[in-house]
Amino acid sequence: MSDARQHLTDDLTDRIESFISSRQQKRLCSSYDVAHQTVDLARRIISQTRWSSACELVETLRTVGRWMSSAIPSETAMGNVMRRVLKIVRDEAAVSSDGKQNDPDDLHRMLTAQRASSDDLTVAHPNLKGAIIESIHELMEEIEISGHNISIQSLEHIHANEVVMTCGHSRTVEAFLKAAARKRKFHVIVAESAPSYQGQKMGKSLAEAGIETTLITDSAVFAMMSRVNKVIIGTHTVLADGGLKALNGAHALALAAHHHSVPVVVCAALFKLSPQFHCAYDQDTFNKIVGPHDVLPFAEGGVLSDVQVQNPVFDYVPPDLVTLFIFNTGGNAPSYVYRLLSEFYHPDDHDL
Amino acid sequence: PHTISPEVMQRTEAVPFFESLLQGDPEMSTAIAAIQTLMEFMNRNSAETVAELTSDLKGAMTELQTSDQSVASVASGCELFLRFITLTALDKPDFNECKQLLVERGQLYLQKAAQARQKIGKLGVPFIRDGATILIHSRSRVVLTLLKEAACCNKHCTVFVTESLPDRSGYIMQKSLQEAGIPAYVILDSAVGYIMERIDLVMFGAEGVVESGGIINKIGTYQMAVVAKAANKPVYAVAESFKFLRQYPLNQFEAPNKHKYTNPQPSDFSRHPLVDYTPPSYISLLFTDLAVLTPSAVSDELIKLYC
Repeated sequence: MSDARQHLTDDLTDRIESFISSRQQKRLCSSYDVAHQTVDLARRIISQTRWSSACELVETLRTVGRWMSSAIPSETAMGNVMRRVLKIVRDEAAVSSDGKQNDPDDLHRMLTAQRASSDDLTVAHPNLKGAIIESIHELMEEIEISGHNISIQSLEHIHANEVVMTCGHSRTVEAFLKAAARKRKFHVIVAESAPSYQGQKMGKSLAEAGIETTLITDSAVFAMMSRVNKVIIGTHTVLADGGLKALNGAHALALAAHHHSVPVVVCAALFKLSPQFHCAYDQDTFNKIVGPHDVLPFAEGGVLSDVQVQNPVFDYVPPDLVTLFIFNTGGNAPSYVYRLLSEFYHPDDHDL
Repeated sequence: PHTISPEVMQRTEAVPFFESLLQGDPEMSTAIAAIQTLMEFMNRNSAETVAELTSDLKGAMTELQTSDQSVASVASGCELFLRFITLTALDKPDFNECKQLLVERGQLYLQKAAQARQKIGKLGVPFIRDGATILIHSRSRVVLTLLKEAACCNKHCTVFVTESLPDRSGYIMQKSLQEAGIPAYVILDSAVGYIMERIDLVMFGAEGVVESGGIINKIGTYQMAVVAKAANKPVYAVAESFKFLRQYPLNQFEAPNKHKYTNPQPSDFSRHPLVDYTPPSYISLLFTDLAVLTPSAVSDELIKLYC
């Protein structure tokens, strides 16, 4: 790993380290900012480091990706964007050497005993750098307008006089609902999402946009669900099986919706799609536990020694509770997620 | 090692050769043994054109599928081999050169396929938590490899195995697990519902994986999957990629009779089927040597191969 790091200039190393520390100091920050900065970093690495073949570049990018992911494991957007960049590099290398798309079908390839795609990567091409940088710019643009691309689909999903339920504060969902509100009149119920109470911020913002909003506690979700037409939520990550790693409270909301046969629609940009599966059904490896002072303030002094307080950040929502994903590329069923994975990530990069 | 043997292999010799391969190496998968038999047959065949070779091979395949060994695996192995013949570019004028090419490619494929179980072991281990209680069905070598790999990674699991009548192969599985140092308990087939509340995950192998993403496996698998779904437990199917079949059964009775019964005849209810079909809605994930797949991804893999 240190060999690949030596390829990086000092300036780049400084940038990466400051990026990592800025994420480590804040508790949660928007995936969009993380994704945007990661693409920017990747672009600098590609243009500023010296590499003679795609193989070297891939190795450098993978090293940086691994370094960043191991520093902050819960920030999946970093790894996802790095994988997108790696797929772009591999595709461009394949196109310039073969003139055709690099298609990794293992079963087919095993049978016809074709040479592995890594052979293609060791050849040097003069125009490769330019082609890759251009594709990276396209990726940057795609990420920048991802929120907009999701919002313009809102009119197909929200109809007049509907009651929509959401929880917490998702910038994607906020933009989605505000875009629909310009043309339709509908009602939004927001669950306040303790202990961060982000839902209150969401409710205020929606009300200021002229949408009829009701704020409820998390415990009232089941009671109100019978009057709701659809549930629209955002998520932190979309997992490879179509499940969600969403903010806490999402699973309870999805279960209540399932019980009342209310469709659950998830708005997420493509950089939230991760090739990882939800491996172990316990909290230690999957969840991030933050300080308990939001749940039980330190001022409650006496009882603290008798009580264990946990404040998990994430929730796993299984794929059969989700009805539809709205990505910036369009709407998809959870069972289709595998297809998007094979389109946007290369199988060798699933484990950076 | 392949040698061009002087005497031609007859169709009728296919099944004895196949069965001798399986007896010689109990760890070998039936599909791999089928492919090796077909390769040997091709090697010792006296055909002069590709068309004649293909028709001879098809004859041998029909013979193989009459054997008693898990017919679904044999069928998928045979189909794969046939596909392999049609895919290899055979544009050399000399037929013997073509055959040589086929034999080389076949050896390469067999080498890769032999590593399939190890690959699956590595892919599946992260899904087993330390201290998990696992329920498995009957005897499966892939599942055994996976559990041994987990034990090597210091994950201490408890395993419950179903007895799995009529051949009671659950006991053989228990013995293999105990030899590997994994505590294993045999339960009655009818006790699956009883034990389900104490289970963390359910795992079974497959004799065939069908296009819908469902699996064909030893009788009792479907029952276990339904109970697991009712109890909200994850169900993982473990299968190598050469078990993918080009079939799409819609219910139990559509699963072909030749897989269900030995020496198939029109079924009356006095005979017991050996396998059943588990629909994809009951399976959470499939661990294959290609990747960890959701059931909906299986049809994509099959299309890539066969079309």
